Amino acid sequence: MMNWAAASPEIFLAVAGMAILLFGVLLKKENAALCTMLVLGAFAATFVMVMQTVPQTAYSSLFVTDAFASYAKLLILAGGALTMVLSLDYNERQGIGRFEFPVLMLFSTVGMMTMASAANLMTLYMGLELMSLSIYVLAAFAREELRSAEAGLKYFVLSALASGLLLYGISLTYGFAGTMDFAKLPDAVTGVDGVSTGLMVGIAFVIAGLAFKLSAVPFHMWTPDVYEGAPTPVTAFMSTAPKVAPFVVLLRVLIGPFGHVSVQWQPIIEVVSIASMLLGSFAAIGQTNIKRLMAYSSIGHMGYALVGLAPGTESGVRGVLIYLLTYVAMSAGAFACVIAMRRQGKSVERISDLAGLAKTDLPLASLLTLFMFSMAGVPPFAGFFGKLYVFLAAVQSGLWLLAIVGILTSVVACYYYIRIIKVMFFDAPAPAFDTRSASVSFVAIASGMFTLLFVLALGPFTGAAEAAARVLFG
Amino acid sequence: MLFATAVFAPLLGALLAGLPGRVLGDRAAQLIAICFMLLASVCGVAAWVQHIYLGVPNGVVPVADWITAGDFRLQWALQYDTLSTTMVAMVTCVATLIHIYSVGYMAHERFTTSRFFGYLSLFSFSMLMLVTANNLVQLFFGWEGVGLCSYLLIGYWYDRPSACAAAIKAMIVNRVGDLSFALGIAAVFLRFGVVDFSTIFAAVPAHVDDMYHLLGTDFRAYEVIGVLLFIGAMGKSAQIFLHTWLPDAMEGPTPVSALIHAATMVTAGVFLMARMSPLMEYAPGALGMVTFIGATTCLFAATIGCVQNDIKRVIAYSTCSQLGYMFLAAGVGAYQASVFHLITHAFFKALLFLCAGSVIHAMSDEQDMRKMGGIWRRVPVTYAAMWMGSLALGGVFPFAGYFSKDAILNAAFESGSGIGLYGFACGSAAAFLTAFYSGRLLFMTFHGAPRADHHTMEHVHESPLTMTGPLMALSVGAVLAGWWFYPQFIGSLQQAYWQGALFNGANNHVLQRLEDVPAVIALLPSVLGLAGFAIAVWFYIINTALPVRLAERFRPVYLFLLNKWYFDELYDRIFVKPAWFLARLLWHTGDETLIDGVPNGLAELTVDGSRQAVRIQTGSIAIYAFTMLIGLVGLVSIFLFNR
Amino acid sequence: MQDGALPVSLGSYLAVAAVLLVIGVFGIFLNRKNIIIILMSIELILLAVNINLVAFSAALNDMAGQVLAMFVLTVAAAEAAIGLAIVVVYSRNRGSIEVEDVNLMKG
Repeated sequence: MMNWAAASPEIFLAVAGMAILLFGVLLKKENAALCTMLVLGAFAATFVMVMQTVPQTAYSSLFVTDAFASYAKLLILAGGALTMVLSLDYNERQGIGRFEFPVLMLFSTVGMMTMASAANLMTLYMGLELMSLSIYVLAAFAREELRSAEAGLKYFVLSALASGLLLYGISLTYGFAGTMDFAKLPDAVTGVDGVSTGLMVGIAFVIAGLAFKLSAVPFHMWTPDVYEGAPTPVTAFMSTAPKVAPFVVLLRVLIGPFGHVSVQWQPIIEVVSIASMLLGSFAAIGQTNIKRLMAYSSIGHMGYALVGLAPGTESGVRGVLIYLLTYVAMSAGAFACVIAMRRQGKSVERISDLAGLAKTDLPLASLLTLFMFSMAGVPPFAGFFGKLYVFLAAVQSGLWLLAIVGILTSVVACYYYIRIIKVMFFDAPAPAFDTRSASVSFVAIASGMFTLLFVLALGPFTGAAEAAARVLFG
Repeated sequence: MLFATAVFAPLLGALLAGLPGRVLGDRAAQLIAICFMLLASVCGVAAWVQHIYLGVPNGVVPVADWITAGDFRLQWALQYDTLSTTMVAMVTCVATLIHIYSVGYMAHERFTTSRFFGYLSLFSFSMLMLVTANNLVQLFFGWEGVGLCSYLLIGYWYDRPSACAAAIKAMIVNRVGDLSFALGIAAVFLRFGVVDFSTIFAAVPAHVDDMYHLLGTDFRAYEVIGVLLFIGAMGKSAQIFLHTWLPDAMEGPTPVSALIHAATMVTAGVFLMARMSPLMEYAPGALGMVTFIGATTCLFAATIGCVQNDIKRVIAYSTCSQLGYMFLAAGVGAYQASVFHLITHAFFKALLFLCAGSVIHAMSDEQDMRKMGGIWRRVPVTYAAMWMGSLALGGVFPFAGYFSKDAILNAAFESGSGIGLYGFACGSAAAFLTAFYSGRLLFMTFHGAPRADHHTMEHVHESPLTMTGPLMALSVGAVLAGWWFYPQFIGSLQQAYWQGALFNGANNHVLQRLEDVPAVIALLPSVLGLAGFAIAVWFYIINTALPVRLAERFRPVYLFLLNKWYFDELYDRIFVKPAWFLARLLWHTGDETLIDGVPNGLAELTVDGSRQAVRIQTGSIAIYAFTMLIGLVGLVSIFLFNR
Repeated sequence: MQDGALPVSLGSYLAVAAVLLVIGVFGIFLNRKNIIIILMSIELILLAVNINLVAFSAALNDMAGQVLAMFVLTVAAAEAAIGLAIVVVYSRNRGSIEVEDVNLMKG
């Protein structure tokens, strides 16, 4: 008995997307703002539907809805919605306000939700491609701008290569395990004579493909360039939801089907994690462009999140889920501040443009300070708790090296986060920024409130993360 | 209750006047501090009267549990006996007078003086804590507390480099003594397992023959403890070798010199000897050292006092010298005489300092006696008070100093030992010099032709009542204290007075024999004192050219004395210079190169690492793809190696 | 199997696929000329995967591999379309599709 309703949020969102696309085409006068609002409405409806899904496996066990998937989907929808709001004003002012933009984001989100629910490597691949294909277009959305086009091109080429490698890994896994079904993979993995070499190579390829999407070292090379070149709302989008989806897939794959061979993949995750943390903290120091800086910052953050995956324990997964939650909020807020950096109708993105912001625009400076402190992991802001839980899990499993490297790199990372604060508060003021729109302020303040007050709602959020994590260890 | 109030009222005063003083303003802070000190002195005197005249017995006033660590339990409690009540009464009275005096003296300060009064009250509290301690650790608390306050008050004018240097010097020199004191406490604890006085003293006879084996030689435990404690006392009481900080401490405001560096804190060492008398009596070797050091200091400081020109320094060396007398007395077993001199000295020395302060005040902050003279008509009260203080210091009958100094010299003579006679000789010589420099001070300051400039002389005026009032009160003490207390402290009533607070060994009959000294010896201090004054009159009134000629004739001796026996230069060479050298070495190589080098180097490395990390980020798709491939190969190899 | 014809083993298929994959990957980073070649290399990689999938599907007697192969074909088509579109946008802005010119952003 097939239960069609299992994927109803995704189906609804996809249908809504097509309807909005049609609507946008049919409109006599192009109205991007209206379409964005419609997409946001669709997101809100989907959010409610996800909240009401019941745990089940459907479509011949291609698709699963459980607490883990729901947690991830809600986070993805929230991240997508926040960045969508950011695009409203930015696109208009940059002259790229076209209605395809929100629709592409919507399709990307559908892809990510599919990934979160994937119970089969095939579903995983389809979701991943839907997400990626939309982002290729988004990255190159500012057609008139060379940097945007170059960003789109780079991301496309490298991402296609990564997808190819992932796919090759899937094919090897399929061939040597005999199935693509997550539920059946564990039996194949723990065969009579251990894990076959082919299967291990396949797993390595799959991890590499997902690590690319996460922009984890050494698959991070595209990140700074694409972050810099893409329109800022796209950058914001890329650093939120499209980081969450591959991560939850990685969690589900490594903990679920390959959970029995965690001894095999643990060193890989450790190496990737340490390398990401190191690069994320060191390479950012010399940056002058704030979007590039955020790119390295997000590389580092993925490294920290991977610290929670390395132990392969329930508390580790819980830590990762909390980390992703806080990361999405901080990231959306920080990019809201970056989007607010406009001077005389032009977007500016050098760190020196922030000079003396505290004197010209104290609220914005305070918010950015809040996000920087939170990203640096200063208590009692949200970012601190994310780091706390992943490091805690690592220490509990005896992975001292990860925790120590993590803390040391956090210290190094403090340097460039706090440098921004220093520039804003102590440097001679640059000319004031243009008035920012209400939508940008809304995102910045909402994320700021979350980041600031997370400590008060620690219980419910960790509870939800814990419930989600428990599913994987059923 | 009275007793506890006396001890804790100054603390309350210090907190209320010192902490919110800036908000309250000067007047309010002063008023608060003085009110609490007045309360303390009333209670302190009442507690003393209760004990001595109303027959309230010895006891312990518990305050709180302090330290509980395993078997080691320490109570915070106040010892209630004659020694502590006497000290409390004296400290609170003198401190109150000096608080009042300070109102006038500090009236011309640029900044708010609430900090000053806070420190002063805090000092009083620490001193009271010291004298009422019922165990060594509590005593040490008070000991360090007064040290801290002394440091703070010497450096009160923190914008003067010399004051800061003097404060640091006092702190550091005292560290030497305090280290030894702390070792002494540790040794007591090791020997007895406790630190509270009653238990220790009860157990003293049981450990008489205990030995320490050190450096191949056996030492009696009590000798070691006694010497350690005495070195601690030397630091606090500025005895020779550890005396260098006291003259420099005169950089502090004059009321501070009067309270801390004359009447109370510097006598803490003497107090310690008296308090530990039940133990010291079993350490004859240590007592010999006490006598020797005391006697030597007594003479040594007096010689320097004769040639100094700074009015406060003269009195400071005089203090040093008088402390030597007290140790001399303690060394020959006459603790009663020692404490007696402590009390009388507190009155007349505080008086002298306050008079000096009054003179300095009158002379527009001039301290050099060579620039004074001829002002006695303008400052009659100060002049009269100074006379009384000087006569008391010089040991002239019937002023206070006569009784106590006489007793000390007699005791030294009567002790019969060689070291005692050495003490007697030094003490007698010092008595002569004391009278001489007291006279010199008086005559140079008040008589002769005015040597100050016209402008200063015009401003010479008698101090306000807040300053002269305490002078008069202390003058009464300086005149009467000796005569009044003589019978009780060391005379016929001493057994009844002390009620066992001080201990004399079974063979120690010094006090009983005081009355038996030959008439020549008994009269000697007075004769020497008068002679000293007479010579001072001759030198500084009749034939004023003579001192200059003498100084030229005996120039090496004069310079030797003027430069304070070259102690400062010697210490500079032996301790300060090498310490500077070591500090510079540690600073430049240890700190700047090594300790700073590590973080700086790390920062450099970080920046360098940052540059390296982005070097591969060339923007080329080929490089990016290649990196990915290398990464993939790396992952696969890790996987395969890890099977 | 017909006589005369050697049975083709699974290993041979995998070897061909692996060679195709390597050619595709090398085509991406050894190529210094033209972005179009990179697009072709990507198609090669997907082709390699498809061979793998179909071969495994046949060997395992399992249809899932072939199903995925169909999906991959579809995705490849979409990917090629998007890729070409981006190249067009890029060439319009840059006036060139030389691989070595794609280095505006770095560091």
